[in-house]
Amino acid sequence: MQGLKARDQKIFSYLYDQYSPALYGVIVKVLNDDSSAGDVLQDVFMKIWRHLDRYDETKGRLFTWMLNIARNTAIDILRSKSHKMEQKIRNMPDDVHVVDSLIAVQPSTDYLGFSRILEKLTKEQRTLIDLAYYKGCTQEEIARVMDIPLGTVKTRMRNAINQLRTILNK
Amino acid sequence: MASDEEIRELEAAMAQYSAVAEEVEAYRRSMEEYIRLQGKNPETDIKTRLFTQINNEPNLQEGEPVPDQDLQQPKVVSMQETKSLSWKWLATAAAVLLVGSLVLNYVFFNRYKEFKEYKDKYQSLLVSQNSILSKSNLYKTRLEQMQESMEIIQDPKVLKVPMPGTKAFPEALATVFWNPQSQEVYLKVNKLPEPTADKQYQLWAIVDGKPVDMGVFEMGDTASLLQKMKVTGKAQMFAVTLEKKGGALQPTMEQMYVAGKIPG
Repeated sequence: MQGLKARDQKIFSYLYDQYSPALYGVIVKVLNDDSSAGDVLQDVFMKIWRHLDRYDETKGRLFTWMLNIARNTAIDILRSKSHKMEQKIRNMPDDVHVVDSLIAVQPSTDYLGFSRILEKLTKEQRTLIDLAYYKGCTQEEIARVMDIPLGTVKTRMRNAINQLRTILNK
Repeated sequence: MASDEEIRELEAAMAQYSAVAEEVEAYRRSMEEYIRLQGKNPETDIKTRLFTQINNEPNLQEGEPVPDQDLQQPKVVSMQETKSLSWKWLATAAAVLLVGSLVLNYVFFNRYKEFKEYKDKYQSLLVSQNSILSKSNLYKTRLEQMQESMEIIQDPKVLKVPMPGTKAFPEALATVFWNPQSQEVYLKVNKLPEPTADKQYQLWAIVDGKPVDMGVFEMGDTASLLQKMKVTGKAQMFAVTLEKKGGALQPTMEQMYVAGKIPG
């Protein structure tokens, strides 16, 4: 950690090798766009490099901190691009195809560690988690987008996360 | 994902109860594992680009930290906020704007139509003016050339030497205007067949029985003008032969088209 704060490039290079696949995965999932994801990743690591001194170990793990930067940067970009899309969803909550295109999940075979583990989640469970995490939707928004009652979203979300924990703890 | 308020509540609860904190941390680790499982290797050149950028970064250590929102807590895309704006106001404002824009559209469209008519007229005028201008320039140049030719022809010191066609080319005709004092020689093609691209007509002066090159000359449009040739102070005769392009050192006698003696 000291080496990082002193901005040691070797340690930063190690950090990159260690975490870039996860951060890149997040960016690709948020943006649904491979073409710009590389530039965003570079941007994210530049932010991490510039603000290393602001990372506070007492508040959380480094990976958590880095993930937040990646996710927030990507969501900002998505938000600046997706105003039109939101508009559509607001106007056509019943249109299943619009919903499908919003929550479009990249083909899973591309992913490094993607294994049978995640297939133990139902498609709906993964959609719930993905909407919440990658698209930054609140539960109210998920309810509107998926056209299910808010209470149901809360229950199913809890089940999805519990299921995920159970699978991962095995 | 939770809203900002929910996050604040959660953080307060975490600070108070370690069990809540543990639970949240467990949830976070599950999420991070989920994310890690969906990791994806980026292109290798991104790392190279990143380190190039880092090495080009000036004075990072001393630089003022830039405030960056993205380093704060996770955000949510909130559609709630827009709701808190009074929709009645928005609707009224939108209606007023719509009516206003319709009226303006009508006014501007009419103006635009008028303007477009004028613009079309203006452009066609511009086009015709340009063509008149270029024609008038053309006439001006031609007039100047004619005047120049007239001056040469009318000069009493200038001798007019008609060159009728030879036996081989009886139809051909050309004229030389020669000023023995200034030694200037001009040629006027009256009638000569257009040569092939690799051939050119050449004018000769016969001085004391020997042919002297007076230069090649152009055909086509230029042939209607007086063409200035090389100078000579002495000549008994002028003749034109057809030679290879660029001219020959000696005239080809079989290809002599016209020839004329100096009168007097």
